[in-house]
Amino acid sequence: MSNPKITVVDYGMGNLWSVISALRHLGCSPLTSSDPDEIARADTLLLPGVGSFRKAMIALQQTGIDQAITEAVQVNGRKILGICLGMQLMGLGSSEDGDTIGLGFINSTVTKFTFEEIGNNKLPHIGFDSVHSHSASHLFKNLRKTTDFYFVHSYRMLPSGIHGTLATCHYGIEFLAAYERDNVFATQFHPEKSQANGLMLLKNFLEV
Amino acid sequence: MTKSAAGGHIKWCTNCLTMSTRPRITFDERGWCNACVWTERKKTLDWSARQLQLETLLSQHRRSDGSFDCMVPCSGGKDGSYVAYNLKHKYGMNPLCVTVTPALALPLGDQNLRAFVESGYDHISINSNYEAMRVLNKTGLIEMGFPYYGWLIAIHTAVIKLATNFGINLIFYGEDGEVEYGGSTETSKTPIYDVYYQKKVYLEGGYEKVLAASGLSESQLNFFRFPRDEELGRHSLQLTHWSYYENWDPYRNYLVAKEHCGLREAQESNTGTFTNFSQNDQALYALHTYLMYLKFGFGRANQDACIEVRRGAMDRQQAVNLVRLFDGHYPEEFIELYLSYYRMTLNEFVNVLDRYANKDLFEKVDGRWKPKYLVS
Amino acid sequence: MLKKRLVFTLLYQHGYFMLSRNFRLQKVGNLKWLQSNYDFSRISFSIDELVVLDVSRGQRKLDDFCHALKELSQGCFVPVAAGGGVNSVDAARKLLRSGADKVVINSSIYNDIDFVSQLASEFGQQCVVASMDVKSSLDGIYRVWSDCGSVCRPGTAAHWINQLSEAPIGELYLNSMERDGTGQGYDLRLLDLLPRTMTKPVILAGGVGNASHLATGLADRRVDAVATAHLFNFVGDGLKQAREALISSGINLPVWGS
Repeated sequence: MSNPKITVVDYGMGNLWSVISALRHLGCSPLTSSDPDEIARADTLLLPGVGSFRKAMIALQQTGIDQAITEAVQVNGRKILGICLGMQLMGLGSSEDGDTIGLGFINSTVTKFTFEEIGNNKLPHIGFDSVHSHSASHLFKNLRKTTDFYFVHSYRMLPSGIHGTLATCHYGIEFLAAYERDNVFATQFHPEKSQANGLMLLKNFLEV
Repeated sequence: MTKSAAGGHIKWCTNCLTMSTRPRITFDERGWCNACVWTERKKTLDWSARQLQLETLLSQHRRSDGSFDCMVPCSGGKDGSYVAYNLKHKYGMNPLCVTVTPALALPLGDQNLRAFVESGYDHISINSNYEAMRVLNKTGLIEMGFPYYGWLIAIHTAVIKLATNFGINLIFYGEDGEVEYGGSTETSKTPIYDVYYQKKVYLEGGYEKVLAASGLSESQLNFFRFPRDEELGRHSLQLTHWSYYENWDPYRNYLVAKEHCGLREAQESNTGTFTNFSQNDQALYALHTYLMYLKFGFGRANQDACIEVRRGAMDRQQAVNLVRLFDGHYPEEFIELYLSYYRMTLNEFVNVLDRYANKDLFEKVDGRWKPKYLVS
Repeated sequence: MLKKRLVFTLLYQHGYFMLSRNFRLQKVGNLKWLQSNYDFSRISFSIDELVVLDVSRGQRKLDDFCHALKELSQGCFVPVAAGGGVNSVDAARKLLRSGADKVVINSSIYNDIDFVSQLASEFGQQCVVASMDVKSSLDGIYRVWSDCGSVCRPGTAAHWINQLSEAPIGELYLNSMERDGTGQGYDLRLLDLLPRTMTKPVILAGGVGNASHLATGLADRRVDAVATAHLFNFVGDGLKQAREALISSGINLPVWGS
């Protein structure tokens, strides 16, 4: 694999170090950027994220990074991978901390797991869980149809009504574990925290 | 597999890591060494019968007039402390504890001894003739590869001397090493033993020879002589091991000593092992275990790992990893001290080590003896 | 199906990694030692999570710890939780930017339980791991000890667990001081302190010597993850062997593709 240019968006939230570590391990020299111009012109983007949806969107809006990402993805057609909160930010919006609008790349809203849904299970959904993927998926190439990945979240998207190649996970309810459509890719789980499975998925993303 | 000095192949216990090179070791049909077989048997042993024997023995000696009724040789470390603690607090005895000061006492050892005494025990430190111990230690080192032979003699002889002087007829040593760690099982069924057994096994039969060759005067050897047979006869002295009456568990001893007798551990692992809570009293212990390693192929880490395996704290494979990593480290940090103590040159010292290194097990690589075998 | 987790805990003090026995520390080795005897870029494939705690007695140096954390988390593609003396949002942020995915807090909770909410609202609830060191007192009641096991907190451990199960924490790391480093296995009675419907994941710690202890912990349905900090017992291929033994005995741990 030639040295792909990937820019990791730094908006003050999320464990950049791990994701950068993983990318380096795969032979990349990732750039990190909090500069909207750089982000808008990026080749490939990675949007990480941990924490509050609302805080994240405020941070993105205040810096203009939200517009930069939109430009890169929807205008320039650049490839993007959103991870965890990053995936959620790409949705229509979230009910976390009061309703907030997202970037809108994925046609779904983010809501919290309810105790009715998950029954005796605990929140947050933390740990390694089985993800069921589609055979046509680029992200899950060379991985088994059911593979374990690391999740840590209390909010999720539901797969109904979404167009794209989807992967799901079951936690009381079937929720969206991964999404891919055209140049937009996203995982609710953390590939950089999912051992060999996650590294393979990241490699697949880089090679698309 | 490597050939041992006797020409056979070396092997390890299939349960712990005791080596076939260990003197007086035997293996059962499963390949379990006698220490492991004993550990297994201890689980179903009728300890209540032995408890009764202990209580009977104690009642024969227990004094109610305040005088000392038993003696506990100790160092301030976990084992002696455990025994003393039980005798005093569980059985209402009045032990007199005794330490024979080792040659190169370590600060932590001194600290632990002080803490032990201050936690509430009557105690006597015997400082035998310094030069005599030095000469005997050195003779032991050169003639037998036993670097603290003088002290080893004194912890038997001086203790008995003190006991007879105080009119104490019951001495509790800690564990019977032969039974607990693999060796002769002569005493596994008999609680009381005698001076003759001490000489034969604990002093490896070299006692008379070493004293004779020492060139020391009788006035210097006071604390290194057993009382004469006539004198012993007058005192009906009973020597016994605590490990006979209760399931011996070094780790449990450590926990009790830590909790009740002020025992503290070293800041880091002791040389040649991964533990920090035992044998912290003298610098020569590291040399003793290093020589043991050179002679037989197992050192302190191996000993400690076997104890851990037997108490269920680790499995055999984990022990293998630890022993491969830590066993047999040359006690670099003490060499200068040893040389000045023994008044030897480095060359002389190294020659002694070389003499005792088992050439079937070790080869010299870059000036250090390296094992030809792999612990497995 | 959510899998259970095998967690390895590293105890750090002033540049070295330590073994703890009933909260007394023994120096084992520095980062170099750790890397040559544990090789985290390889062994991280045998564990599901790494916890790194700065248990330094006396003055802690956050920058040094963060440096060690960065080194450790590099090439370690599992979740990393870090903590030790964290008592401010800034300190937590520093850890999160040094490779940690979650922050472990202990003493600061018992000083001011609102600190939990502060961290949760800043970084998200899932980032907060509440750690509790427990020991039973002479009356047989389990109590909470903070500040590296030196200060006994008022109230019972059961009471504190109840408080925390209602607070915005991500997980509870429940550690037995009495079993710590003994190799005698977990104190499963700690689990009886949990409320019947505990809504937060529980990581059990304190007492592991070998794989069978881990298995016993994992077999209990109240346990979501098992942790060990025994730096000696799992040296070399110890963690790999333990994991294989656990999986082949049918325990539900994650399976890695390669």
